[in-house]
Amino acid sequence: MSLLSVKNLSKSYVTKKLAGKSEERKVLNNVQFELAENKILGIVGESGCGKSTLAKVLTRLEDFQSGEITLCGQNLREIPQKELTHLIQMVFQDPYQSLNPRKKAWEIIADPLIVVKNTPRLEAKKMALAMMAKVGLLPELGERYPHQFSGGQRQRIGIARALMLKPKVLILDEPVSALDVSIQAQVLNLLLDLQKEFGLSMIFISHDLSVVKHISDETLVLYFGEVVEHGPSEQVFSNPQHTYTKTLLESAP
Amino acid sequence: MKEYFFDLWQDIKKNKGAITGLLFVLLFIILAILAPLISAYAPDQVIEGALRLPPGSHFQNYFFVLGTDDIGRDLWSRLLYGARVSLLVGLSVVFLSASLGTTLGLLSGYFGGWLDRIITRLMDFIMALPSVLFAIVIVAVLGPGLLNAILAVSIVALPNFTRLIRAQVLAEKNRPYVQAAQLYGASPLRILFKEILPNCIAPLIVQASLGFSDGVLNCAALGFLGLGAQAPTPEWGTMLSDARSFIETSPWMVNAPGICILVVVLSFNLFGDGLRDALDPRLKNRG
Amino acid sequence: MLLEIEKLSVQFKTESGNLIALRDISFSLAEGEILGVVGESGSGKSVSNLALMGLLPDNALIQTKSVKFQNQNLALNSQKQLRPLRGKKIAMIFQDPMTALNPSLTVGYQLRETLQTHLELTKKEASRKAISLLERVGITSAEERLKVYPFELSGGMAQRVMIAMSISCNPKLLIADEPTTALDVTIQKQILDLLIDLQKENKMSMILVSHDLALVKKYSQRIQVMYAGEIIETGPTDQVIKHPHHPYTFGLLKARPSAHTGKSKEHLYAIPGTVPSLRARPSGCQFHPRCDRSTEVCVKINPDISASEPSFACHHPLESL
Repeated sequence: MSLLSVKNLSKSYVTKKLAGKSEERKVLNNVQFELAENKILGIVGESGCGKSTLAKVLTRLEDFQSGEITLCGQNLREIPQKELTHLIQMVFQDPYQSLNPRKKAWEIIADPLIVVKNTPRLEAKKMALAMMAKVGLLPELGERYPHQFSGGQRQRIGIARALMLKPKVLILDEPVSALDVSIQAQVLNLLLDLQKEFGLSMIFISHDLSVVKHISDETLVLYFGEVVEHGPSEQVFSNPQHTYTKTLLESAP
Repeated sequence: MKEYFFDLWQDIKKNKGAITGLLFVLLFIILAILAPLISAYAPDQVIEGALRLPPGSHFQNYFFVLGTDDIGRDLWSRLLYGARVSLLVGLSVVFLSASLGTTLGLLSGYFGGWLDRIITRLMDFIMALPSVLFAIVIVAVLGPGLLNAILAVSIVALPNFTRLIRAQVLAEKNRPYVQAAQLYGASPLRILFKEILPNCIAPLIVQASLGFSDGVLNCAALGFLGLGAQAPTPEWGTMLSDARSFIETSPWMVNAPGICILVVVLSFNLFGDGLRDALDPRLKNRG
Repeated sequence: MLLEIEKLSVQFKTESGNLIALRDISFSLAEGEILGVVGESGSGKSVSNLALMGLLPDNALIQTKSVKFQNQNLALNSQKQLRPLRGKKIAMIFQDPMTALNPSLTVGYQLRETLQTHLELTKKEASRKAISLLERVGITSAEERLKVYPFELSGGMAQRVMIAMSISCNPKLLIADEPTTALDVTIQKQILDLLIDLQKENKMSMILVSHDLALVKKYSQRIQVMYAGEIIETGPTDQVIKHPHHPYTFGLLKARPSAHTGKSKEHLYAIPGTVPSLRARPSGCQFHPRCDRSTEVCVKINPDISASEPSFACHHPLESL
């Protein structure tokens, strides 16, 4: 059974121009895919292809015009906010911008529990420190502020925060792009471990073909808001059908 | 946090102007608090016959360090109690304008739309008029008096805070950490006060220290025009105004409160500027 | 040799003491050669190039034993000596073309200005040359593009303009510092192919700096791996890639998945720990805290890089297979 299904999803932005004219720009056009339980779906595309918009639509940070999104058998638009937070969470690209600089690491990680479940602070802190250990951070570092961590460590904090509510689906928007190569490998390994441990389904968005190929079961190629190729990763990378996918692969060093 | 303030202190320490400002600010606060202990007489005690005596005068068994005014009150004592008034004025102006201004700024920056439009227009309106002139209008409506003067000066100072916080909120609200909080269902109020506000504190502190001096100066101006504190309150602006007609014969009566206003306003400005310089790089690379 | 650098060290003066950004870097570059420099953030891979261009900030302390460019001694502290070279003999392309171009001047103005600074050209001649340069870097309808402002260009286009500017005086050495990091993959390939074409055509030497080993591997003849301000391994690209001697080089090669080969969803080889910051450099070998081969000697003594090939700086190198 599919956990998340997206049907005929379209979205466009309307930008106002001078003299009352407005311009409509399609960012997602008839996007269609399904995500099964325990699977990782990779979404590849270049800048402006709509991959970040897709992430925002799936997490309901932004609305969409037409199409249907079903998450765990419910219409995404109709899921109550509290329930939604338990179903889907997101890890952001920039580990420097996605953590509040004025909060301690454990506060950042524990906040979802405090907000959603009204967990007492002390208990939430205990659970946050335990989660830090799971994502490979020393719990002693819980009292530190984000700027005292390296980029890779910050991304681990972001992952820990997203996992606190034990979501079914985790959306990762370019989670390793801002990291050094040797740190990228650490975070990718961590993600694979966590997927097994928590039985997560993931949508892994990246411009980096090699990373997507490595981590995902299925790959979807987006080009100017349209799905141009979709299939098992092995197949997409070894035997691409669409010319754009071929060009992408040839360009990768 | 502790080390943050330690670093901040290290930066401020290097700025001579800021340190000088801070020393005078501290001196001003200490004198204001200790006024009843170190003043020679009560501020409104009239010593008959001791009219407009120059600084350092003896009169019967009284001694006047800074001389007396036109009805025989000790200037030194009046200045000390005047410091209390100024401290009170500065603090209340900052408290009123910062709390109200920050709230307005947070709301208008975060929610946008018609609320933002109304608040911004209102602030534009306040800023379009010269601040003292606008304060005079408000006091004219409310009636003269120290309390009303404080109220008027606070309203005039609102836009500084509102605009500052609004700009800050606009920059912060689109950062991913705010989106992350939205994702786990934090309410708008929680996001505003727990996520965004702590990131606006640094510029707010700077604005508050500058706002203090503005408040003192504007209130003194109102006092000078007879719209602020009323006699016999020992307010510096009022004292200045009362002494105006004796400027040729008894210049000390004008000089003393004048210099006090100058020094306090200047030192708060110096300190505020130093604070801003120290905080600015931090704002840039806090990441 | 076009460029020979011997024992270049760079420190940054700060209030909390001097930070060592580069320690005793020596390397040389033959004419027409492409040298790939690889390193992670904080490795100092850009610092040596900025020193060569005289673009380091004022708090930088530069020490060298000797620097020779076209067999002439060069003092890297002397702006007077560097200025005539900059742009004319040595040119540089930066990571973000959008910020490297002045946003308030037209593309044509900026190109002409570069040309007229170094070559004695009239405005008309400069314009003509600018058009032919833009055409050379693959920009169509070049004449109209001259009137365009940088924000009207895409990232790839802007980088092409930067390249046109940098080759305008036929430099002997082109430094490309992460030239494609801000660009999409498909554009990245076009830009690099263009750079290689130009390099061959003008017989330039090139230093290609990148964090991406796969990219450097594909485009360079020699490779130089940097870590924490030191060169830890260098040699002909094929050899270094096939038989890395330094555990860090080995780790970098293994840590990066490939888009073309390899099995997915398996654990990658990950170098543990993080890159040391400038403020907290370890003792001895800079890599020892992250290295699974380190012993006591690594903690105490920082190994020098071997003078003869294969060149690496390690007490316990990986054996050649």
